[in-house]
Amino acid sequence: MSVTLTRAEPSIAGAGDYIELMKPRVMSLVVFTALVGMLVAPVHVHPVIGFAALLCITVGAGAAGALNMWYDADIDARMARTAGRPIPRGRITRGEAAGFGFTLAGFSVVTLGLLVNLLAAALLAFTIFFYVAIYTVWLKRSTPQNIVIGGAAGALPPMIGWASATGNLAIEPIVLFLIIFFWTPPHFWALSLYRIGDYARAGVPMLPVVAGEGETRRQIWLYTLLLTPLGVAPWLLGYAGLIYGVAALVLGAGMFVLALRVRGESGGHTACKQLFAFSILYLFLLFAMLLVDRMSGGLFGHFAT
Amino acid sequence: MTMASETMNELRKPPTNEQWPRGGVRLTEEQLRARRTRSIAIALALAAFVVVIFAVTIVRLGSGALTRPIYMQPAQPTQGAK
Repeated sequence: MSVTLTRAEPSIAGAGDYIELMKPRVMSLVVFTALVGMLVAPVHVHPVIGFAALLCITVGAGAAGALNMWYDADIDARMARTAGRPIPRGRITRGEAAGFGFTLAGFSVVTLGLLVNLLAAALLAFTIFFYVAIYTVWLKRSTPQNIVIGGAAGALPPMIGWASATGNLAIEPIVLFLIIFFWTPPHFWALSLYRIGDYARAGVPMLPVVAGEGETRRQIWLYTLLLTPLGVAPWLLGYAGLIYGVAALVLGAGMFVLALRVRGESGGHTACKQLFAFSILYLFLLFAMLLVDRMSGGLFGHFAT
Repeated sequence: MTMASETMNELRKPPTNEQWPRGGVRLTEEQLRARRTRSIAIALALAAFVVVIFAVTIVRLGSGALTRPIYMQPAQPTQGAK
């Protein structure tokens, strides 16, 4: 009996490649929304406990990103936007990415459970599971509703932040969840409209590829119609003040006008690019204003009621 | 001889394949540099992990961390207890 041994080439991946594997830009938005969820909770969080919770959420989000790149390496290699990621570039092997992702996922969930509380840990575990197993493995390659349902994973961080602070859930973090959930389709479909060739080549059934540009533009507008009042909801429900309410109205109007322009646009993709860029600013400013409003001690809230 | 021991004997033989150079695998400059950055990153991550665990432990225990007795007397039986 003969045994053939093969040797893997020693890795050339540096620390930077592993950081890239964690999708730092997505991670920063996750951390920010989780921080807002934590700080708007009506309880005092010890800074050290808060920092530990945020660190665990950050690492958990990075683990989900790494596992997404592990599973989607074949798709990433075929798309111009993702061809420069560490696995398609040959810097990191799929096995290394999987090992890295699963290890960080396990560590982040267990550490959050031990240091903060079990509800936050359970929500983080569910988020990673949903993003990797439900979105990446199942939905992304099988339905044009992939980013709609999968968007739930990206919408959960404010709930994890709130749960880290309070140990329970309430209507406030659920509204924050809904804002991100309904923000995701206009954001990603605006991107997929001007990257339609990429998605078609990779065989990803994004809405513009499956249902056409016209239907996608119509659905972007419909989801923005739902998003705009949801953005104002924290003020209408009385747990954010006037400063937030005015900001949410102005930002929502911006999203609405751009979505309308996307709907009316034919031939070009200028409005799509503008909507994609503005949607990032919209979510960031909306959550930042919520934080400013809460940090100002509800000073402006008295004028609203 | 069992199949398991045959396999082990094959594995013990010095490799003749060109994939396994004599004297071990020599890393290139790029591979050495990459390994060094990975090692530093792992060391920093472990140090940060230790600091976070330590800090949270102190916060959770509060001032009791400094005043807790190292040895606690076992509870004395109350009077009248048999």
